[in-house]
Amino acid sequence: MKFTSYISIAYLAIFLPAVILLYTILPKKVRPFVLLAASFTFFWFISEWLICYILISIVSIYLIALWLNKLKDKRNALVKEAENKEQKKAIKKKSGRNQLLVLLLGVLINIGILAVIKYSPFFFVNVNLFLKLIHSSARVSVPAFAAPIGLSFYSLQAVSYIHDVYKEKIKADKNIGRVALFMSFFPVIMEGPICRYADTAEKLWSGERLHYRNVTFGAQRIAFGILKKIVIADRLNIIVTTIFKDHEAFNYDGGLILLGAILYTIELYTEFSGTIDVVIGSGEMFGVTIPENFRQPFFAKSISEFWQRWHITLGTWFRDYIFYPVTMSKPMKKMTKNCRKKLGRDYGPLPASIIAFFCVWLCNGLWHGAGWEYIFFGMYHFALISLGSLILPLSNKLLAKLHIDRHKLPYKIFTILRTALLVCIGEMIFNSRGLHDALGMLKTLFTRFTFKSIFDGSVLSLGLDGHDIIILCVTLAIVLTVGILKERGKDPRELIASTPIFVRWPIYMLLVVYTVVFGAYGAGYIPIDPIYANF
Amino acid sequence: METLIEILEDIQPDADYETCTTLIDDHILGSLQIISLVAEIEDEFDISIPTVEIKPENFNSAAALWAMIQRLQDED
Repeated sequence: MKFTSYISIAYLAIFLPAVILLYTILPKKVRPFVLLAASFTFFWFISEWLICYILISIVSIYLIALWLNKLKDKRNALVKEAENKEQKKAIKKKSGRNQLLVLLLGVLINIGILAVIKYSPFFFVNVNLFLKLIHSSARVSVPAFAAPIGLSFYSLQAVSYIHDVYKEKIKADKNIGRVALFMSFFPVIMEGPICRYADTAEKLWSGERLHYRNVTFGAQRIAFGILKKIVIADRLNIIVTTIFKDHEAFNYDGGLILLGAILYTIELYTEFSGTIDVVIGSGEMFGVTIPENFRQPFFAKSISEFWQRWHITLGTWFRDYIFYPVTMSKPMKKMTKNCRKKLGRDYGPLPASIIAFFCVWLCNGLWHGAGWEYIFFGMYHFALISLGSLILPLSNKLLAKLHIDRHKLPYKIFTILRTALLVCIGEMIFNSRGLHDALGMLKTLFTRFTFKSIFDGSVLSLGLDGHDIIILCVTLAIVLTVGILKERGKDPRELIASTPIFVRWPIYMLLVVYTVVFGAYGAGYIPIDPIYANF
Repeated sequence: METLIEILEDIQPDADYETCTTLIDDHILGSLQIISLVAEIEDEFDISIPTVEIKPENFNSAAALWAMIQRLQDED
């Protein structure tokens, strides 16, 4: 059995039901081991011998965390025996330094594996380009490594675990099985979300019995995820692939490029959030609350708000482990204090924030892929967010002068559309075939913008017919309705569950039949590979 | 507590710090304001705020902030 996606017969019809069955029939004490064995089996199916990398990560963070705990216990004992405040301070300082070194060792092992496997080929390719540029005949050989699927996700989880132990947010776990299950739980291993030990580890290891409500709610969430993926994302794949592949050869105009950018953004959202629905639904079946990764991102009114709603667990990881540690470091705090005196309330914290934003967005770009287009994608968002922070005080003054209320609906709609457009341009860069391609599309967008090819019907020759467009519009309307309900604090699943059985079961059946009938599979369609699984 | 309210009003004047308990949840204090706030509080109260303390529970109200400051002063 080979898994390529969570939305596959192998996972949904064979693997997941088999794990549920074993989990149900075996006693409570054995259940965590069922999940652990299932997770390792799943990992073996997707990455075979590359499983050794996650095993190295698990053992390393387990030992590093215990080592940190030992240092903390030793420090506490010495502090208790200390005679005065100075002695206590000296003990804490010495222990703090040792703990930091141990933490750095853990980070080095886990980020080191990630860096070598994912980034060393990119680094050496650029070294060769540089050598060519300076007319040197020397070349370095570019290494090629097979990367285990999910490496970028579980490496960040590993760092968060040891960092949280270092910061005393959590205690080091003496049970290596629990650490291993937190790191490798099969629904999250391919595409996240990036979980925190404090949120999922205990629950995963509790072996709680399955509840009817959890299983049915989980199944509904999975069904909705499948709908988003195979009715929308897979249907859009053909036109998106055509536009992004052929735009140069067929000299597409800016209108078509913009359409490609918008459709790719919808495809990416429905593919990634659909898969996350399957992931969260799978966890829900076992009673595990996996953190949400999306919160109606296209209702965001600014780019920074968008990133608080899109791939949330990656954003919060960067916030907690890069943004705050950078801005809260001693030199940055000193800089903020000085700048507040010189630049005032509004601009004082900006220099430190901009430095931190740069670090976050460089890492964010590189996390998505080792390529200049991904760095450009990160820098695009860095520029937008920094610019947004810079002009906010000015725009506030301007809005006050023009008597525009930012809380009124027309202004809100304007900011939502503006944000969505900027996001689509960012995703266009993200999906380009390289930096040169991205710059070419941007140039076309701004220099040859016309709606001609959209309105003259040539858009219908790119792989979607009228029938596809109607299905897309109807399904997107369903997704939008669910989004609006959630935005208003209502859970659609609770609403449906509260209706009589003769209403809710036809709704469930309709969802399944709709997906089966209108899913974009078979001749003429090419399903997308999981986009985020390879990051 | 009065000094804390003064710092908060200097950083973000548009809030009622005596009653508001959703400073973070309602985005009254954003990340830029938090950066300023931490720097000012550390200076004023002679404490060091570790990054683990930067969580909504500690920053959602003036009272929660004050409780954190007192706790960190005691720990020091």
